[in-house]
Amino acid sequence: MKHRDETDFENWLREQTRSLGEPEVSQDFLAAQRRNIYRRIGEPRRQLWALRWALSAAMLLVLAGGFAFERLHKTAPAISDEQLFSDLSDMEQRAEPKAIQPMHGLFEE
Amino acid sequence: MGAMADRLEASLPALAGTREFGTWMVSEQKRVFLLCRRMLQDTGEADSATQDTFLKAWQALNQPDSKSLDDPGKWLTRIAVNTCLDRLRSRRWQLWRRRPQPEDEAAILQLAQATDPNAEDQAFARQIRQRLDGAVGKLSLRQRAVFSLRHYEDRSLAEIAEILNLDVGTVKVHLFRAMEKLREELHDLYVRDREEHETPGRN
Repeated sequence: MKHRDETDFENWLREQTRSLGEPEVSQDFLAAQRRNIYRRIGEPRRQLWALRWALSAAMLLVLAGGFAFERLHKTAPAISDEQLFSDLSDMEQRAEPKAIQPMHGLFEE
Repeated sequence: MGAMADRLEASLPALAGTREFGTWMVSEQKRVFLLCRRMLQDTGEADSATQDTFLKAWQALNQPDSKSLDDPGKWLTRIAVNTCLDRLRSRRWQLWRRRPQPEDEAAILQLAQATDPNAEDQAFARQIRQRLDGAVGKLSLRQRAVFSLRHYEDRSLAEIAEILNLDVGTVKVHLFRAMEKLREELHDLYVRDREEHETPGRN
């Protein structure tokens, strides 16, 4: 019974939509659409070239950006002469590097 | 419905010439556009999808290893349906998508003069079509494709299965679920129409 209802509904739906006929599509619209299709048919190679250029430009931009960023961060921080001399004298006075100091603890009683 | 293409019994290489392709395109264009319009429910998007479909067809036809086809119409339908499905899938992410303007649609699509002279029946059928468009929008992508091919293109289940690359059983299930949903959505109109037709004295 349920199956019959479904078939009836399907038939009814088809009957109703058919009674209106198929929508008419404007001829101007279809002609413009065809012109666009022909235009696009002639385009792929140009598009591919444009894509290649765009990719190359983007790569160059990324490289230039990376280079500039690296240079900006690589420049040594400016320190005053006084600070430099004080650091040097500090290093001179210290007999051994700091990293070794904890080792002494192992042998001290 | 692709009748000319069927009659041509053309093979792919035979259609690869610009003139032959142009003739074939004219014969198939409206059908492909209406199929895309029904699936996408947006005239602008259907226009783009139709262009994409013919562009893909042209590119395939001009491949050096293109093979012969028994039914170019069916082949084109498959391209169109897949193009629409891709667009529907990507649409989910397009939150900024512009809704179609009714006046734009009206300028391109006009309902054909009906064969039925009864104005009341006409108005009712229009109402059904409007509601049907809304209801079809609620179907899943596959259900929408199966329903459009079955209902508007009169394709057999086997043909739909071939076009969508599914087995017939799956197509049946999609169609059944689509009809179930549509029946739910259009139930009031269906019942009203049945009752009116069963009432004695109605013309």
